[in-house]
Amino acid sequence: MRKITFKIQRFDGQESWIQEYTLDHQPGKTILWALIQIKETLDPSLNFTASCRHAICGACAVRVNGQATLACETPLDKMLKRWESDTLILEPLQNFKLIRDLVVDWEPKAERLAELKPWLMPKDEFNKESGCRQSPEDFKKINKNSDCILCGCCASECNKLSGNNSDFLEPFVFTKAQRFVADSRDKNPVERLSAAINHGAWKCQHCQECVTKCPKGLSPAEDISNLRQEAIAKGLVEHSGVRHAKAFLDDIQKTGRLNEGMMAVKTDGLVKSIGNIPFALRLMSKGKLNPAHMFPKPIKEVAEVRAIILAVKESEKARNIANAKRSEAHTNPDIQRPKEAAK
Amino acid sequence: MLKFDILVIGSGGSGMQAALVASSQQGLNVALMSKVFPTRSATCCAQGGTNAVLKNADPTDTIEKHTFDTVKGSDFLGDQDAIEFFCEHMPETIRELDYYGVPFSRLESGTIAQRPFGGQSAPRTCYSSDKVGSVILHTLYEQCLKNGVNVLVEWLLLDLVVENDRVTGVVAMDMKTGEIQPIMAKTVVLATGGAGRMYWLRTTNPFASTGDGMAAALRAGVALKDPEFVQFHPTGLAGTGILMSEACRGEGGYLLNNQGERFMKRYAPEKLELATRDLVSQAIEIEIKEGRGFGEGMQAYVQLDLRHLGREKILERLPQIRDLAITFEGIDPIDQPIPIRPSCHYSMGGIDVTDYRTCGTDLKGLYATGECACLSIHGANRLGGNSTADVVLFGKVAGKAAAEAAKTLDFGSEQKVNELVRQWENSFSSTVARTDGPSVASIRDRLSETMWYNVGVFRKESEMKKATQIIDELIAEYKKCVVGDPSKIYNTAFVQYTELGNLLLVAKAVVMGALNRKESRGSHKREDYMNRDDENFLKHTIISKQGSQYKLSYRPVVVTKYQPVERKY
Ligand SMILES: Cc1cc2nc3c(=O)[nH]c(=O)nc-3n(C[C@H](O)[C@H](O)[C@H](O)COP(=O)(O)OP(=O)(O)OC[C@H]3O[C@@H](n4cnc5c(N)ncnc54)[C@H](O)[C@@H]3O)c2cc1C
Ligand code: SF4
Ligand code: SF4
Ligand code: FES
Repeated sequence: MRKITFKIQRFDGQESWIQEYTLDHQPGKTILWALIQIKETLDPSLNFTASCRHAICGACAVRVNGQATLACETPLDKMLKRWESDTLILEPLQNFKLIRDLVVDWEPKAERLAELKPWLMPKDEFNKESGCRQSPEDFKKINKNSDCILCGCCASECNKLSGNNSDFLEPFVFTKAQRFVADSRDKNPVERLSAAINHGAWKCQHCQECVTKCPKGLSPAEDISNLRQEAIAKGLVEHSGVRHAKAFLDDIQKTGRLNEGMMAVKTDGLVKSIGNIPFALRLMSKGKLNPAHMFPKPIKEVAEVRAIILAVKESEKARNIANAKRSEAHTNPDIQRPKEAAK
Repeated sequence: MLKFDILVIGSGGSGMQAALVASSQQGLNVALMSKVFPTRSATCCAQGGTNAVLKNADPTDTIEKHTFDTVKGSDFLGDQDAIEFFCEHMPETIRELDYYGVPFSRLESGTIAQRPFGGQSAPRTCYSSDKVGSVILHTLYEQCLKNGVNVLVEWLLLDLVVENDRVTGVVAMDMKTGEIQPIMAKTVVLATGGAGRMYWLRTTNPFASTGDGMAAALRAGVALKDPEFVQFHPTGLAGTGILMSEACRGEGGYLLNNQGERFMKRYAPEKLELATRDLVSQAIEIEIKEGRGFGEGMQAYVQLDLRHLGREKILERLPQIRDLAITFEGIDPIDQPIPIRPSCHYSMGGIDVTDYRTCGTDLKGLYATGECACLSIHGANRLGGNSTADVVLFGKVAGKAAAEAAKTLDFGSEQKVNELVRQWENSFSSTVARTDGPSVASIRDRLSETMWYNVGVFRKESEMKKATQIIDELIAEYKKCVVGDPSKIYNTAFVQYTELGNLLLVAKAVVMGALNRKESRGSHKREDYMNRDDENFLKHTIISKQGSQYKLSYRPVVVTKYQPVERKY
């Protein structure tokens, strides 16, 4: 009989350890099935949460070999195949306070969620008695982001959050904020936008972990860049001060990260004030900054600009390869990373 | 000691509505308690939609039509005064949800989109793609954040405290610390959801639907009404019970037997697949019984065919359904029919609410709303889209009434609640210390098999007598049950142990009601009494518990406009 081994991170409130459980392999099962099987047949003291068992309640997110995922919808066989191993490592989500075993604390997250005022502020033309109006096109703009089930997978793998969570919020918080900014019924997108800026919208590291981990196919990273673009479009940068604009330029210079927000910048003034054209070109090279938007007047030497972009792209390549190697190591199941105990 | 003017238990659609309304009143101290983080509540599972006569998709729709559809759907067991009240107040409730920010799908005119649903004479089911419950639940949670509602997250209600014929508080476990806590409250609203998990794997319900509030009410001397009426949804995935929404049939899906026949034409020639759930579930089970299903025994199924709807419509209108079928059954409905079988979906019965205008019960200070309550507006069979509607409307009704009542009441004594806390502490210690006895899962599995085979879609006396006996045995064995985890911190084994105790108590009431209702009505289909019997059974079952004994009585149904007639679709 084929045996599957689960190395599960346990935590009793004080101590943390890895415990091994072995189950007979059964085809067509999920990670949640394995957890339930372990609890019911091997060890009732193993704790995890799950409720709907079909990817809608968000209760069952855990890390499987270092990747956050919904236990209920993750096929066991797919994992065994992907990792080419009959041993899987199960851990609680990262970037959450740990309660016990695979159970993490959502209460502090609720407080952080509230920071961006994620609730509808209905326009004055609407009222409680007759509700609102919205076109099907405008509904489409909020339909996707309303899929967020607050599972926390994005937050678990967010590199920025792991590095420092004091000046940044969980990716899903920005996704929620973007949902209200995009809602045609809402009268106060600016309030959410400036809150997003104040809570680190420029600090996202564009690692795309949130995008690849979201079980609902959402793109918090894209939402964050939309929030930034929107902030600039709404004049928020000039408005709430050069402070943000400058912070954002500083960021680029420090990290060399691109800055899609610039797409919306239509003033010569800001372009000139960048003062450091190579950085702007690096942004363009990643396709995130449209030169046509950078230079509001038609550009004559398009070819020349393209050539420069190409050159910058080349120089980026080496760095990308290095990054890819690093992230490979990050997700390799055979590499056991030291575990933090309860934070 | 924690003290609240109003304590709401359960943070599904109903509980959050109650807490929001109560906390909007000045000077009242309100708390909302839930054993799961609010957005994990069963309400998030609702896919199809919510009924209200908005006349957006059909200007000829009327409150009277919604009322009649609901009365007829209930097989005339619903109380017509409550149903009138319900249908009349639904439109304003939906518009308010729109104002709160629920992202409803829209018509070109900008109004809320509505779709047809089983058992309804007009397209009046408001939807949001196929995730209406999730977006309602999240929107209400957003409103709770906005209004700073005090939420006790991951607190488990253990018991209600009753003193001098009124509720004075509760005993609850703070799951994160494992502390068993006394809480005083002037009024308590129960919004703890259904009890579908008594059928364990053959249910669409999430793990948390274990009838905790219903059982706590029973223990506190409050009766359950019509518990025998358990709705079986016709289209649960064959393997897991995971729901394929009614929208599949609403959007035009076919049900096929192993001859490739649309068999519903023999059971409901006019409505076909859009007949009510009870009729469709029974039809499927007959097809399976008579050999026209696929597979055998517990694995048997019929097919839900969406292929003719075309790729585009499936992707646009039923994307989640498609995802579920692919993930959990390995089937893409664009190319293949989906294997389905009826699964326990909804508890029509519940805590006996004696005044639908307040959601009040016979116990002073105790209110019940949502799936755990029985008003009764769903009678013997709930229409699709009427539960989320019930939940969002009557949550408000209960919250408001509980707040009003709290203004006139004082706190009870601390002695009684402390005494009950000590009892639970002792029970915790002795229970988790046990190392020898049956496991929680083994008792649970026997309960669910007993219920599915003997008190399922079809019922008969001999089988139900057997079920009664087995459940009594299981209740006795439960007392010796092994939890297997002595720890206090987030002890899910102990939580599941208490949930099983609740399921057993409620299941016993389900069987008692079913055994004594010698007729077939709505979801309650007796093989030995095939017809509805208005002369003897146009009445609500009322079951209460005294010690270990259950007491059965009946109460007349309220009939206003619609005299019972035979139900045909
Ligand atoms: C898969 C599925 C699909 C559905 N689709 C539809 C649909 O399309 N349209 C429709 O109208 N209806 C639908 N329903 C039915 C509807 O969703 C539910 O009946 C309704 O949402 C119940 O809401 P509620 O507020 O009563 O309770 P729930 O949402 O069930 O919430 C119960 C709450 O009580 C809490 N709780 C329970 N016990 C305790 C305890 N001991 N201590 C503390 N807290 C406790 C839970 O944590 C939870 O917060 C569907 C149901 C399911 C399962
Ligand atoms: S892209 Fe940004 S938000 Fe997303 S995981 Fe990376 S750092 Fe976090
Ligand atoms: S954005 Fe996606 S990954 Fe993040 S909480 Fe929402 S559903 Fe989960
Ligand atoms: S159990 Fe609900 S999302 Fe997995």
